[in-house]
Amino acid sequence: MLRFIFKRLLLGIPTLFAVLTIIFLLMRVAPGDPAYAVLGDYATDDAVAALRTQMGLDKPVWQQYLDYLGGILQGDLGDSLVTRQPAWIQIRTVLPYTLELTAAAIVIALAIGIPAGMLSAVRRNTFVDYFVRVISLAGLSAPAFYIGLLLMYFLSAKAGWFPAISTAGFDDPLENLHALVLPAITLGLVETAYVTRMTRSVMLNVLSDDYVRTARAKGLPSRMVMVRHALRPGLVPIVALTGVFVIGLIGGSVLTEEVFARPGLGKLMVGATTRRDYTLLQAIMVVYALIIVLVNILVDIIYTLVDPRMRKR
Amino acid sequence: MTHRRTRTISFLSVILLALTAIGPLFGSVSAQDDRPVLVHATNSGDKATFDPHLASGTQDRTVVDMVFNGLLRFKPGDASVIEADLATEVPEPVAEADGTQSWTFALRTDATCHASSATEAYPLTADDVVFSLQKSANSDTSGVAGDYAGFEFVKVDDATVKVVVPTPLGPAVFLPKFANYGGGYIICQQAYEALGADGFANEPIGTGPFKFSSYTPQTSTTLVANDDYFRGAPKLGGVEVRYIADNTARDLGLESGELDVINGLPEAQYVERINQAGNQIADVFGVGEAVWLNLDITNEYLQDPLVREAIILAVSRENHLALAGEPVAQGIFSIVPTGIVPGALTQEEAQAAEVDFSQDIERANELMAEAGYADGFSLTLVTSEQAAYQTQYTVLQEELAQIGIDVELEVVQHAVMHEQIRAGSNAITIYIAYRPSADTYLTQFFTSTGGSTNFSQFQLDDQVAAARAETDAEAQIEAWQQLNIEILQNFAGFGLLYTNQVYVRQPNVDYGHELISVPQLYPGYNETTTITE
Repeated sequence: MLRFIFKRLLLGIPTLFAVLTIIFLLMRVAPGDPAYAVLGDYATDDAVAALRTQMGLDKPVWQQYLDYLGGILQGDLGDSLVTRQPAWIQIRTVLPYTLELTAAAIVIALAIGIPAGMLSAVRRNTFVDYFVRVISLAGLSAPAFYIGLLLMYFLSAKAGWFPAISTAGFDDPLENLHALVLPAITLGLVETAYVTRMTRSVMLNVLSDDYVRTARAKGLPSRMVMVRHALRPGLVPIVALTGVFVIGLIGGSVLTEEVFARPGLGKLMVGATTRRDYTLLQAIMVVYALIIVLVNILVDIIYTLVDPRMRKR
Repeated sequence: MTHRRTRTISFLSVILLALTAIGPLFGSVSAQDDRPVLVHATNSGDKATFDPHLASGTQDRTVVDMVFNGLLRFKPGDASVIEADLATEVPEPVAEADGTQSWTFALRTDATCHASSATEAYPLTADDVVFSLQKSANSDTSGVAGDYAGFEFVKVDDATVKVVVPTPLGPAVFLPKFANYGGGYIICQQAYEALGADGFANEPIGTGPFKFSSYTPQTSTTLVANDDYFRGAPKLGGVEVRYIADNTARDLGLESGELDVINGLPEAQYVERINQAGNQIADVFGVGEAVWLNLDITNEYLQDPLVREAIILAVSRENHLALAGEPVAQGIFSIVPTGIVPGALTQEEAQAAEVDFSQDIERANELMAEAGYADGFSLTLVTSEQAAYQTQYTVLQEELAQIGIDVELEVVQHAVMHEQIRAGSNAITIYIAYRPSADTYLTQFFTSTGGSTNFSQFQLDDQVAAARAETDAEAQIEAWQQLNIEILQNFAGFGLLYTNQVYVRQPNVDYGHELISVPQLYPGYNETTTITE
């Protein structure tokens, strides 16, 4: 297993290098100047030029690139051009918020989506199946930010059950969980729809397999057939899908973060792009690429746990 | 089965605990005492810098204004009055024998620099003031260095600082440069040197009523009361500035009671809706940000004055005003905004000078034909994605279509727009800005000193310099008005409107002052601000 993980990590290095190079070049090609993001429109041309020099933006692009790569190799992600804070500190501050939101959304998606998908498959072409499919279609169609605003309006502003502006720190775990509920539901509901539809599709295939029919013929209770014989092999594609969700959510939860005024990696990335904060954006991409590699490795490990055949491959 | 369930529950519990225990790094905000903490939501997603001489966004100026003082200050809630702040009184100019002019500031001796992570609290002296002003005048460390070009700052003694100006200036030009805005904020030398420029940009240390406490990226900046403040301990225990870019989220946060004051939408309908509902109060106040047209007199088409006149006659001020509606927006009749800073033209004055142009499409089309453009021409204009710019450009696009000018709008990010218009992308530039004096408006936008912000290329260098040097207040205002007339007569610019600030508060928030105009573009919080029961 260790050798497998090591190989995957090695494969991640060229991927990371390619991503960094592309991002570096794209940011330099795109119009816009971080000096204006800092100084605003009042600044004189001299002040803008001086700040560009301080930021190192007056150096040739190849030199900036080499400086940047040199920093990365030494474990230095650089300082944000705009806030002048070390990029890693900014990322480290917001990353836990993104991870907890992603984890909570995935838990909600799996906890609701898998049973709903199974139910829909077992009760195929009945009212229950139609109902689950319509609801999941609605979930797929509703933008996350709109669901978020509705939840905020009814459950925060009107009912007062949850905070509307959910950025409780981690030093108060209960308050943190309380503040996490609405964003997690917002993000989780959309993913639930995907999981439900995927589970239904997978289960329909599995349920028609010979070994499931055999299990039923042996007289096993329906629940045991479903959980032990049908669900476990069906989990393989769901695990794969979940891996994709996690990667997508870490960067793509920006709308939920924006609506609930939560800090997060996606929001940090969008902000860095808008302000042309090259260093910060590059640092985020490094972290993001690392997360992708790690999540993929994790998914592979879970594969082997769910499906023993994978261990022999 | 039971064992499995137990295992599953244990596993989930561990995950939940792990999730909630990840980050002891994040300090949450709480009052240090029984005084209330005011939670203010700004419409930006994050801060940029807390260095007061570099800060340009309203979200940064809000924090900076509470942490720092100027030698002088705009009277809280009323920017038309300048009064003493770190200085004991507003200075008078003295003409020196060598033709220069000096202004001497006597400093109060009870102002204390806040403690920082690297320095103890200490009394502010002339050394700090001179250091701070020199930093403001240095383009390596200040975004507004141009405002202090040629100025000399001299320590007379520990409590006295003399400013020597190469060319005499009137009070209306000189005094705002030393008030609590931009380069006028006084920073503490020891803290700046100990923290370094980058450290100081994240840990601002001044003498103001509130002290910097913490900053959490994308979330908030926390300030706590400075109980040693020279005007007395603040009534608030602190102020938390929240970064919430989404308008609806801010509104809902206010409605749910989590926020005390929010940056509202600059729209009359929004103000009316809030005030009619009666649960919160929407305040509309200055200073207004002026919106005006800059017409590039060197452009292939616009170099003909007939075309520029046609463009101005195609524009209806009322159309542009309607975007925000009164009282949020008010019409202006010169480039220097009417009613905001001295030196502007009122409508009557503009009419008397025959430069109060009203929309006249028929005449505009005649002028276009006379200029040889009966079939019109095409222009590509770059606009910001920000609604304030985009809507103004869209209205302009419709107006110019009526005289055959086909405008293609290229929508770009805000910072990109600023870069491109400075590179000369636009024949017609709509600009939105507040500047603290008529001289700043005129210098920055209508002289060669303005550099890339001289969008019209129409330059009044000598006249602006002469007006700046006028020491008689009334004569100076007259000179500025004359320059406005000259710009309008040459169709190099056209004032449209100014947009006031809109903030919404809970009814129990008491700013401690009347809200007429605040140059930092937020209500202004100080030692008198409080939240009542």
